Amino acid sequence: MRGQTCEDRDRRKRSGGRAAAAALCLAAALAGISGCGGQENAAGQGNAAGQGNAAGQENGSGQESALGTGSRGTGDTQSVVVVMGPTSEPEAGFDPAYGWGAGEHVHEPLIQSTLTVTTEDLEIAYDLATAMEVSEDGMTWTVDIRDDVRFTDGEPLTAEDVAFTYNTLRDTSSVNDFTMLREAVAVDGDTVEFRMNRPYSIWPYTMAVVGIVPEHAYGPDYGQNPIGSGRYMLKQWDKGQQVILEANPDYYGEEPKMKQVTVLFMEEDAAFAAVMAGQADVAYTAAVYSDQTVDGYELLAFETVDNRGFNLPAIPAGTADESGVPLGNDFTSDVNVRRAINIGIDREEMIENVLYGYGTPAYSVCSKMPWYSEASQVEYDPKEAGRLLDEAGWTVGADGFRQKDGVRAGFTLMYSAGDSVRQALSEDTANQLGELGIDVTVEGVGWDVAYDRAQSTPMMWGWGAHTPMEFYNIYHTAPGGEYARYSPYRSETADAYMDAALESTDLEESYELWKKAQWDGETGVTQDGDIPWIWLVNIDHLYWSRTGLEIAEQKLHPHGHGWSIVNNVDQWSWEK
Amino acid sequence: MRRWNRRQWMAALMVFSLLLLILVTAAGLSFEEAAGVTDFSRRNLAPCPEYPFGTDFMGRDMFRRTVTGLSVSIRLGILTAAVSAVIAFFLGLGAAVLGRGADALIGGLIDLVMGIPHILLLILISFACGKGFWGVVIGISLTHWTSLARLIRGEVLQLKESNYIKIASRLGHGKLQVALAHMTPHLLPQFVTGLVLMFPHAILHEASITFLGFGLPPEEPAIGVILSESMQYLVMGKWWLALFPGLLLAGVVLLFHFLGQGLLLLLDPEQAHS
Repeated sequence: MRGQTCEDRDRRKRSGGRAAAAALCLAAALAGISGCGGQENAAGQGNAAGQGNAAGQENGSGQESALGTGSRGTGDTQSVVVVMGPTSEPEAGFDPAYGWGAGEHVHEPLIQSTLTVTTEDLEIAYDLATAMEVSEDGMTWTVDIRDDVRFTDGEPLTAEDVAFTYNTLRDTSSVNDFTMLREAVAVDGDTVEFRMNRPYSIWPYTMAVVGIVPEHAYGPDYGQNPIGSGRYMLKQWDKGQQVILEANPDYYGEEPKMKQVTVLFMEEDAAFAAVMAGQADVAYTAAVYSDQTVDGYELLAFETVDNRGFNLPAIPAGTADESGVPLGNDFTSDVNVRRAINIGIDREEMIENVLYGYGTPAYSVCSKMPWYSEASQVEYDPKEAGRLLDEAGWTVGADGFRQKDGVRAGFTLMYSAGDSVRQALSEDTANQLGELGIDVTVEGVGWDVAYDRAQSTPMMWGWGAHTPMEFYNIYHTAPGGEYARYSPYRSETADAYMDAALESTDLEESYELWKKAQWDGETGVTQDGDIPWIWLVNIDHLYWSRTGLEIAEQKLHPHGHGWSIVNNVDQWSWEK
Repeated sequence: MRRWNRRQWMAALMVFSLLLLILVTAAGLSFEEAAGVTDFSRRNLAPCPEYPFGTDFMGRDMFRRTVTGLSVSIRLGILTAAVSAVIAFFLGLGAAVLGRGADALIGGLIDLVMGIPHILLLILISFACGKGFWGVVIGISLTHWTSLARLIRGEVLQLKESNYIKIASRLGHGKLQVALAHMTPHLLPQFVTGLVLMFPHAILHEASITFLGFGLPPEEPAIGVILSESMQYLVMGKWWLALFPGLLLAGVVLLFHFLGQGLLLLLDPEQAHS
């Protein structure tokens, strides 16, 4: 559209030229030019118009989905309209085997029941389970389940279904790791036994996100037509637009107060527009919108463990893994450099700058979780950071940046292109480290190359899950590999603690071991240890919420600004 | 004072456009460093005397970013238009001079490239070449030559019928020699005009594919990046993020258009007396 006015003029003028030229064969050559110009313009216009249409269609469909649903405006006090980002829509449907609930971003599956649930302080409680026991060697979990539960098609939920679910996930789940499970066996109608390949003390956290599917109604199209025993049933799914959930009338637990939950999928700006138009009751939003006010809505901020941080490859450059990906980084392999960076970043300022105050400082990937070690916390201390760098031989040169033996202190910090929060965090990191004399260049990259490049270049990541397994995945040497999976680092001690934690038969005791993996008094992955990752902030999840809607107490949201908000939508209510 | 005629006006406009474009390019080059500087203490400022185009969510000076972006666009436009025009020139010439087989081949190639929607082909090529600066350059260069090539081919076909060319070949000049020594001087005016009129398209297409995310990387101060970033802030009322860069882009395209028009007027014998 931008170029159209000028192109129009272009064409008018020159078509005049074309007529004149046709009259004179002598100037036929020049007429040719105008002919070409005209054609090219036409092509150009076609393109411009094409783009315009595409954009228009996109907007159109966004509006449609917003308009196509009722909202609070209808006076219905038992329904709610929630807006989430387009990436929250489960691509493969509501099938736990393809990441529903138990996926990259964990949440309660709503449509299905789980064996256990996580409580508000992330401890374990029961849903379907009534008792849970683990053998001395940690290799067998025995779980008793309720016998009064029925799927929404009327069939009873038995231990057979539970075993079927877990065996299916073990064989097909492409999203979650189930290699620790050898097999699930239904011992009798209401007892199921999980036989493990290796001890896995945090199995209850896995059980909290795996929705139980009915063996008799499971098939390739289960994701489209899910049947479960959970609080809600799938009523309608318009792909790319909305999901409508309806309360399960036969739910075995407390009756859901919200009878209908409509979830719309929209981009951030469309979500905000929907709020301004009064078409949504709850809509996700980002910190940049936080200075806006909308009549009839309030801004809610929920604390999270949705953290952002970057990896610092802990080995020098020069080696490569078996597929030829270069490993290591000479500058960040210096432990004093990593320590200096960790205390040289003012996290509070970063929260103010980038998150408009909506965040909490992060010193660990598992802040506020039961397995979080307080030893991770550090104070911002630029003087000490400078001293550490000086001591390590990185001295300030004439240009204000440090160097050592002719090597300039600095690195490239990557972020996933298109994520403005990670971009801003990276830029702020670069600014702050610049003051320390470290030259940081920021670069946006796609996920297609990010994982490989992060093996040698620091990268801004986002993590945060309701299971210690994430801590394991980040710091523990990868199975069969030489270093940890996402960034080259290896610590025998930390590995040993984590292995012991997984082998532990007592959850409480395993928490202590997880903490020791972080810092045992001598070594670890904290400031005084190897500090292979720098954690910056936990990003508050922000929502616009219609006045009068009472959203039940939220547990700490994990990474992924999506379905977590409706974990307890059944307990939400409208003010009378 | 004597009134200026149209040619003189056009010449003046051309010089003015050229100067402005050079100014923008030079200013952009000198701002390159400052355009990327983030300062969170001055984020989201509306236009004010100090920051005439306002600042964005990371406190970048939008005036400097915009000018740098335009400068990148102009340089990229010149490079791609030049490459494209050279491709067009030789393919057009080749089609007309090298006989039927070559003509059919090149004609087919032109139809092939023209048959695929421009922006789609552009995205494909740019993506295949790894996006970024070179992806964009290669993508635009390889898609914008077709019309000019077709034009030049037509020109050459006509020239081939003229007596002096026929005489030249009778005298034993080879095909290539005839093409380069005798035809090229006649083709130059069209070629130059075609080249200049290709700039605006190159620039707009650079902005388009960058806007769509298949072009320059997001930390580059490119107009496409600026515009696509600004989209999500429009709903918050931060109009300055899109308005000024958009206007200036249109302005630069317009300047190139004047330049091309002027050139056409001055080089075209048919319009010598207007």
